[in-house]
Amino acid sequence: MKPKVAFFDFTSCEGCQLDVLNLTGEELLDLLAGVEIVSFREAISRNDEDYDIAFIEGSISRDSEIPRLQKIRKQAKILVAMGACACIGGVNCLKNHLTMNEALTMVYGADAKQFDTIPARPINAVVPVDAYIRGCPAQTGEFAKLVKALLIGKKPETPSYPVCTECKMAGNICVYELGKTCIGPVTRAGCGAICVTGGRQCWGCRGLVDEPNINSQEEILKKYGLTPAQVVEKFKIYNTYSEVKK
Amino acid sequence: MKTNSVLIVDDEAIVRESIRDWLKDSGYDVATAESAEEALKMVAKKDYHVLVLDVRLPGKSGLTALKEIKAIHPDVKAVIITAYPSEETTAEARRLGALDCMIKPVNPEDLEKLIRDAVASIDKEADKKPAKKAAASKKSVVISKRSFKTLITSLLQDMEVVGVKGKKGKFIFDKINNFDELKMDYDLTPIPPTKYLFPAKETILKYDLSDFKKSTPVLDNAPRAIVGVHPYDIRAIEMLDEAFITANPDPNYIARRQNSLIIGVDCLNPSPKAFSPSMGTNVAEAGFDLLLTDIGDTYMVTVGSQKGADLLKKHAQVIEPTTDDIARQKMVRDEALTKYQLALDIPRERLPKLLEDAYDDPYWAERASTCLSCGSCVMVCPTCFCFDVQDDVSLNLKDGERTRLWDGCMLVDFAKVAGGENFRHDKTSRFHHRMYRKGKYVLERYGRMGCVGCGRCGTACLAEIASPVEAFNAIAESARAKQEAARAVETIRPEKELYAPMQAELVRVDNLAAKEKVFEIKLAGGKDLGQKPGQFVELSLFGLGEAPFGVASSPTRRGTFEIAVRNVGSLTNVSHNLKKGDTVGIRGPFGNGFPLKQFEGKDLLLIAGGTGIFPMRSLIQYVLDNRKLYGRVIVLYGARGPAERLFTDDLEGWKNNANLEFHETVDRGDAIWKGNVGVITTLIPKVQLDPKKTVAVIVGPPIMYRFVIVELKKRDIADENVIMSLERRMKCGVGKCGHCQMNGLYVCQEGPVFSLAQLRTVREAV
Repeated sequence: MKPKVAFFDFTSCEGCQLDVLNLTGEELLDLLAGVEIVSFREAISRNDEDYDIAFIEGSISRDSEIPRLQKIRKQAKILVAMGACACIGGVNCLKNHLTMNEALTMVYGADAKQFDTIPARPINAVVPVDAYIRGCPAQTGEFAKLVKALLIGKKPETPSYPVCTECKMAGNICVYELGKTCIGPVTRAGCGAICVTGGRQCWGCRGLVDEPNINSQEEILKKYGLTPAQVVEKFKIYNTYSEVKK
Repeated sequence: MKTNSVLIVDDEAIVRESIRDWLKDSGYDVATAESAEEALKMVAKKDYHVLVLDVRLPGKSGLTALKEIKAIHPDVKAVIITAYPSEETTAEARRLGALDCMIKPVNPEDLEKLIRDAVASIDKEADKKPAKKAAASKKSVVISKRSFKTLITSLLQDMEVVGVKGKKGKFIFDKINNFDELKMDYDLTPIPPTKYLFPAKETILKYDLSDFKKSTPVLDNAPRAIVGVHPYDIRAIEMLDEAFITANPDPNYIARRQNSLIIGVDCLNPSPKAFSPSMGTNVAEAGFDLLLTDIGDTYMVTVGSQKGADLLKKHAQVIEPTTDDIARQKMVRDEALTKYQLALDIPRERLPKLLEDAYDDPYWAERASTCLSCGSCVMVCPTCFCFDVQDDVSLNLKDGERTRLWDGCMLVDFAKVAGGENFRHDKTSRFHHRMYRKGKYVLERYGRMGCVGCGRCGTACLAEIASPVEAFNAIAESARAKQEAARAVETIRPEKELYAPMQAELVRVDNLAAKEKVFEIKLAGGKDLGQKPGQFVELSLFGLGEAPFGVASSPTRRGTFEIAVRNVGSLTNVSHNLKKGDTVGIRGPFGNGFPLKQFEGKDLLLIAGGTGIFPMRSLIQYVLDNRKLYGRVIVLYGARGPAERLFTDDLEGWKNNANLEFHETVDRGDAIWKGNVGVITTLIPKVQLDPKKTVAVIVGPPIMYRFVIVELKKRDIADENVIMSLERRMKCGVGKCGHCQMNGLYVCQEGPVFSLAQLRTVREAV
């Protein structure tokens, strides 16, 4: 019997789920030959509560999200965090630098009192997670890779090395050589250094490697002319949660 | 030159000479060598057509020699001969291109036939390809830059052309679509051109999950020209050839290598991080098809292969170089040499030894502390070739492919096994390993430099720790500092007492024999001498001088010690007049003493002749005082005559001591003597010995050693277990004056106790 798959979104832009739909028509058919999608708000109207694999997009930033996530965890045999918000907290955690009242007022102004919010967190801060599809957004290829791994019975793996390794494999000229800076040296690879290859720089959307040499990275950023505040900014965008936890 | 020269390499003279004579009679020009090292020297001086190599030689093996000779003379024919045939030897011989691996004793007729055929084939090959020989002889020609453009433009019609292009103010190797994109004057590309031989990611196998037979290897056979390769990268390719082609030839690498044209260009404007001249890689002699030098309006072109020669013939107008062209090539190359900003502070040949000695240097941990483990250094390195293999299945779960990707020892999980153990889990061990590959391991394994000094890692490393030249210089500096500190005259604290004797008192003087006395000596303050059995002291008498004496008593007998003095010179003559209570000087104890650890658990055969009983007495006492540590203790003692027996009280005591077996003899008896008569060697056959358990100790006059050793050999006692205390003129006792030197050894320092094994190569010893 085909495993039943469901997609859920929490605090997020839903871009990661949208990216799943970027699979080619043939690939989508192959995917559907292997799994049965029983809940996927962005693509189908079906919404079953009986599923085996749950893909979670988004971080947790409201109290009401916690029991919902716990319920999903209870049902799902395998729970996959999909995208930067779910995996590492992502950009939502930028508000953690403010008090919650400041954040609400900043966003909703006079209506702030109608909303509640808590500091944002990745889903593994609430429930155990079995696998991660990293990145902002999570990429189609990695989604497919994970599904294949689950179907074939292989442990889903992402590289333990940082973006630099893949950036060199991609043949890029280092952004530091071009007078810019990035945090690729401490950011987990798997993206193929897509941002640098595309002419940008790495902002760390995939989270930090297991043993990031943060001190050395900070010294390097300073050596390349960043002020301490700018160094903090570099890590803030995606890695606030892990940095604050530290 | 007639094709008939043969070099025979065998350490057995009989083999060497019989083959030589046989081949000489058959009309060959024959030379012989006793070792691989000698053969290598001979081959460097003269071209031999055929080598006959024994496998087991005293130094390097015959196979190693063949490998090294083949590297220089790939056409040389070789026959391996061995008395110890094995599948490994045969396989290795074949791999090295030997004609045959023959088992000794070799049938000379078979060998002669083999050599005759080999010589015939050499002549035939030479007849067949005279043109190739000429081309291979590194001919240089000149082509105009316009002609070079025509050449590249023509190549673009025939194959993929990759070369150096500009990108964001830097240079990269990329596909070239027209000649004008090509940059021939550049400093460095972040990623080396070796990526066209060993790409970052390549499919090596395609498979079908349901049908095993459908799996097929994937090879890239597309013809490709790689243009603008700098010499250091050519040298890196030669290193990769070594890794991928020798032993288990790699099909993917070889497919690309064989289908690639390599058009090199001399690097005239090196990167500020480059140091290739220090690695000897700023020039390339081989490994390319053409190598260009920009000498102004024209290129000087070195032809490196037949492919290169054909290319010029087909597409370029070739001019013979003028003396002016040759001078200009030398000038631009010399000028380029002045532009390098980094250099190795030591000759590169010293790197392996330097690194070997610096294994535990604190430098590695210090520098590795800022390492990001980002892998940049290994990804950009032209000599790095480690890879990972991954499987990728299609989403239909029906087919898939196996790919290999660059991987490297600087990445955290590189040496991690499935069970979770990571054999290089910390930054230091990874950093260390990479540097050792670059300066030592690769060189030792493949015979080529593991670092070509391109400067890519130094450019790529944000933490600025990756450049091997910096590490090697730092290590060299630390070695130099250590050496200097050891030699810094100002900071050394001299041993003030080195030549000043300690005051001591004679507490007892006894006669042993006509010429021998024993002195019991007490150091001032009752201090123990602290000697080991077998050590000696210098007895010092002001006004007369000093002389060495083995200590005759065991350190287990505390408070005083004894020396026995034979009256043979002026100091000993005067000392014989000393009386109880007199003051003497003592320096020592000196020397190594007997290897007491080695004796433990063993049967001891202690053989003393004449005054050799003096130091031996110390050992016998020590052994009796620690009797449980040893097996049987057998003492053999020989004196010239009954009147010359020394320490007679001890001898009597030992004779009646159940803890040891005592036998003695005299060379010549007299009317009263009832014991054994004969030299000491006559006692040895009478003793029951277990050669595996026995350590023999010999102390006596020089003449005695040779004969005793012969007897012990008959009893199968290993050289390691034959221990001797040697007498030499030990004047200073502290390894300075030089009197006691025996070949390279100072007897007062490394001795006076040696094993026969240690003395095998010490020709002055016995």
